[in-house]
Amino acid sequence: MSISSINGCIGCESCIKSCPTDVIRLDPNTNKAVIKYPEDCQICHLCRMYCPVDAITISPEKTIPVIVSWG
Amino acid sequence: MKEFINKYNFITKTIFFAAIPLLLWYLGDVPLRSTFKESISILTILAFSAMIGQFYLTRGYRTIHKELKVSNLVRVHKFFGYIFIPILFIHPFLIVLPRYFESSVEPMDAFWTIITQFNSIGIILGLTAWTLMIAIGTTSFLRSKLMMGYKTWRILHGVLSISFIAVAAWHVIDLGRHSDLAMSIFFVVISIGGIILLFNTYFLNNHKSGAVGK
Repeated sequence: MSISSINGCIGCESCIKSCPTDVIRLDPNTNKAVIKYPEDCQICHLCRMYCPVDAITISPEKTIPVIVSWG
Repeated sequence: MKEFINKYNFITKTIFFAAIPLLLWYLGDVPLRSTFKESISILTILAFSAMIGQFYLTRGYRTIHKELKVSNLVRVHKFFGYIFIPILFIHPFLIVLPRYFESSVEPMDAFWTIITQFNSIGIILGLTAWTLMIAIGTTSFLRSKLMMGYKTWRILHGVLSISFIAVAAWHVIDLGRHSDLAMSIFFVVISIGGIILLFNTYFLNNHKSGAVGK
């Protein structure tokens, strides 16, 4: 997983619409985006790029574990 | 120490309203971004803190008179107002501007997306605070052309300021990137203090205010 935090979300849903793996959902109570399935994040950065207020942080420390073939 | 604070009230207050928010920004658990974007965040936080500090730079706050004469106090109050209102006025544009350079998001598209989020309480509060702030700035700048007496204008200024600070503080707590618990408590405490001070000046100390008129 890679997406690490959302600060200052305005609830425009741009990130939710742009995420290809449905990682982010809208919290109905707060009307703000929340990271629902972080393990599915593919680090495509689309959510971060589409966010108008730069609310999304993608942690550089986290990477997708490399799948090694033991052939 | 108490004597020093009383003697240099203006300086200590300035340090308080600048240093505490900076310290809370530094200690906050928010991911750091580029220097440019963090500078914009700091500038906005300091501008808001200074706007709350305006409540303590009034003739109603008697302890500050020991260091600043009323005429100087009004000058400093105006100076801070005319410096920090424009910063808060443009801060939505300062948020969207860097997005163009890093993600090619059109600033006007991003701005339109922001101001049309009417399902977000934070945005509605922000738009309200923005309007109130423009009203404060305009009525202050054009005071001599408003065809109203000083006392009436002062009450209008006070009502607008209280409304602005209440709405803006809520907006900051709801949407502020760096508004964690500590920062929120700081803004709430100094806002309530300022509002109490204003109420005290306008409604409780009215019988003493022989020097109300200009």
